[in-house]
Amino acid sequence: MTARSRRSNSLDAALTVVLPVMLGIFIIALWQGGGLQALFHTDSYVLPAPTRIFSIYQDNSAAVWKNIWKTTSVAMLGLLLGSILGYAVALLATNFPGFGGGGLAVIGAFASVPLVALAPVMNNLTRDVSRVAETRSFVAKMLVVMLIAAADMGLNAYRGLTEVPPYSEDLMMTYAASKRTVFFKLRLPNSVPFIFTALKISVPASIMTAIVSEYFAEYAGGVGRQIRENILMAQYATAWVYIVAACGIGVVSYAVLMIVRGIIHKKLHM
Amino acid sequence: MTDSISDRNDVKIQIKNLGVTFTDNAGNPVQALTGVNLDIHKGEFIALLGPSGCGKTTLLRSVADLQQPTEGKISIEGKTPKEIRLARKLGFVFQQPVLFDWRTVRKNVELPLEVLAEDKEERSKRAEEMLEMVGLSNFADSYPGQLSGGMQQRVNIARAFSLKPDILLMDEPFSALDEFTKEKLHEDLLKLWKATNKTILFVTHNIEEAVFLSTRVCVFTPHPGKLANIVDITLPQPRTLDMKNTMEFTKLVAEVRGSFEGGSL
Amino acid sequence: MKKSIFDKKWVSVLVWILFLVIAWEIGAFIVAATKRTPENILPHLSGIIAAAFSTKPAAGKLTPSGVVFTSAGATLIRAGLGYVLGAVVGYFMALLMKLSGIVEKLIFPYLMLIQLIPVIGLAPIILAMTGSINQSRVIIAAILSFYPVATNVLEGMKAVQKEKYELMYTYAAPKWMIFTKVLIPSSKPALFTGLKIAAPMAITASILVDTLQGDGGLGCMLSQSLKHAMNIYVFWLIVFFCAIIGILSTYVIGWIELAVSPSKRAMNRSKKPHQPKRRKIRIQNYMENGGMENDSQIQKV
Repeated sequence: MTARSRRSNSLDAALTVVLPVMLGIFIIALWQGGGLQALFHTDSYVLPAPTRIFSIYQDNSAAVWKNIWKTTSVAMLGLLLGSILGYAVALLATNFPGFGGGGLAVIGAFASVPLVALAPVMNNLTRDVSRVAETRSFVAKMLVVMLIAAADMGLNAYRGLTEVPPYSEDLMMTYAASKRTVFFKLRLPNSVPFIFTALKISVPASIMTAIVSEYFAEYAGGVGRQIRENILMAQYATAWVYIVAACGIGVVSYAVLMIVRGIIHKKLHM
Repeated sequence: MTDSISDRNDVKIQIKNLGVTFTDNAGNPVQALTGVNLDIHKGEFIALLGPSGCGKTTLLRSVADLQQPTEGKISIEGKTPKEIRLARKLGFVFQQPVLFDWRTVRKNVELPLEVLAEDKEERSKRAEEMLEMVGLSNFADSYPGQLSGGMQQRVNIARAFSLKPDILLMDEPFSALDEFTKEKLHEDLLKLWKATNKTILFVTHNIEEAVFLSTRVCVFTPHPGKLANIVDITLPQPRTLDMKNTMEFTKLVAEVRGSFEGGSL
Repeated sequence: MKKSIFDKKWVSVLVWILFLVIAWEIGAFIVAATKRTPENILPHLSGIIAAAFSTKPAAGKLTPSGVVFTSAGATLIRAGLGYVLGAVVGYFMALLMKLSGIVEKLIFPYLMLIQLIPVIGLAPIILAMTGSINQSRVIIAAILSFYPVATNVLEGMKAVQKEKYELMYTYAAPKWMIFTKVLIPSSKPALFTGLKIAAPMAITASILVDTLQGDGGLGCMLSQSLKHAMNIYVFWLIVFFCAIIGILSTYVIGWIELAVSPSKRAMNRSKKPHQPKRRKIRIQNYMENGGMENDSQIQKV
């Protein structure tokens, strides 16, 4: 009985890895062999085989990496500034509950504003930021990412700062702790897991936002814009290189986030 | 252990040499229960008493077919627990109320009857009856989330009784309630038991609760879990709260407690 | 006491909206004083409102609002279609994963992957593959609605108390009843959580697909008015329209949830009288959420 259940446990763990990998290999094989194209009623011109996509990447790797960097820098700077802004608003809302609560509701509303409405407005607003189109567009794209990231962070951080364990505030009160102490000993550590909850949503969202903003930007650059331009020019294989790159940015940045979270949780013994 | 109750011949549940061994997360075997022999008669109120880890809940779950014993066997009226479960003769009351919060109180009580495919009239008639019995008729259309913990547990009991099971298995149903609510529910439960003549197995870690409610207290000790002693509760029926002030009650409580200190606790 | 808290929130929201309006107007005055074409950068709100009620044709015979509403039709119907399709597929996918461990193992990693992928970035290629703007609108909206629904519903189904199954087991209930009486009703809140996340995404996706090909959707009109092919105020109207629709969509799903959840309505009713004790509510929230994790935005690891 014991041996059997132990065996079934390790079998279970193996299946968790093996099954999806097998599915992945199967799909790629189908793609390479042309089955996927038939399934989607398309041809190997619009949906080129993986080997073809890879060879295009090899021919253009310098340009691809330059565009990856453009998109990533917009997404990450916007994410950073937006998260700081969001946390600041959450702090404000914690200290002035009556006023801040409404501010959070307004920020929350921003989260449901479609990106396509924000991006062109930002383009218009940043027209005077710089004489260089590239800089102007960078700022415009970053501002959109910032708003989206701020909304996620603001809402989650507010919960982290206020939803402290029951009676912990009362406990601090019995110690006659100052507001400052309550913040550093209770609210700040309590909000750490919520910061990561926000980031889990806003990291992929920031990348998506950066990509969509590129569609509308004045200056043509970045992974998203390359996808669009190449499709307009019917260079589908090149477009696929950038699609794969976009997916790669998403997956890698999420993996980095999870590693950072692991390290910080370990440090804080959570 | 040779007493009047064990001599009766209307054995309802026969537990023979029962043992349960689990595998813990690390893959090591853990003996939860070993060598339990117990005959339970029709209409008895058996308390299974002991500290945590003594296997009392494991025994209850084995009777309910929620757990497969690794040694020995349980037979209920000559059948296996599974057969009894499939015949829908079992009622199980969990420690938590386990109410379906999207259903009204009435609908919660009707749930087992829906499973049995009783018709609508019969369902609502029996639900009315059961809610009346636990004094919650006025809350039939409320949702569980609107009730206090004690009221939720009463709904839980009403639901178990609505199935009209032969055997009622209760797993520390009152342990999360305050003393006043608990006493009220004790009286309710005893009334229901007398009125319906069910066989009840009641798991608890509270000595006074076990003595007050049951006809026999089975004392379990841990590491490994085993049945250490059985104490007949000779308090007269029906039980009333003022019996708790009698010498006899105090003596019985002391006797039960003594069986722990003498045991391998 | 209980009323003042309720009112206060609205007052505070109102103050914030007022604050934003004032900030916008100050900006508009500055832009108007310094720029040659202020309406391209930041027009006065009065101008936008005037455009909304203007009867002057902006494109063909249509007034600015007419342009917005006719093009919104095409965009929103496709978004809605894709949304419903994605939600239905997502729900059944979750059910299937709950039903079979093998299916879950097979699909779940990809479900996680899909939410890390900027799906909207795929819009152009899907348009190229289908060749039809309407089809690609539906497909993109469906993909985007699919995963929040699937992950949230699966999460909700997995969070069902073990004892609920055991209870049904002691009743010797047939397997299909475990679905109809336990799994499906208890996954309802999670379904709506997913739907609330998905709604603005589906709309965004549909508008974005519009901008890729001129076929009279909202996004198409947006790009045209940006390029000054028509009155620039149409652009501002569309921006505000999108924002309002995006915000409303979440509320609408919330109302639908209340309409189909009598227990939630009853709880809301009975909770209000207890509200003066704010801390009590916080404690409850804390307990319900196990101390962390934003339940309204489970996107799950």
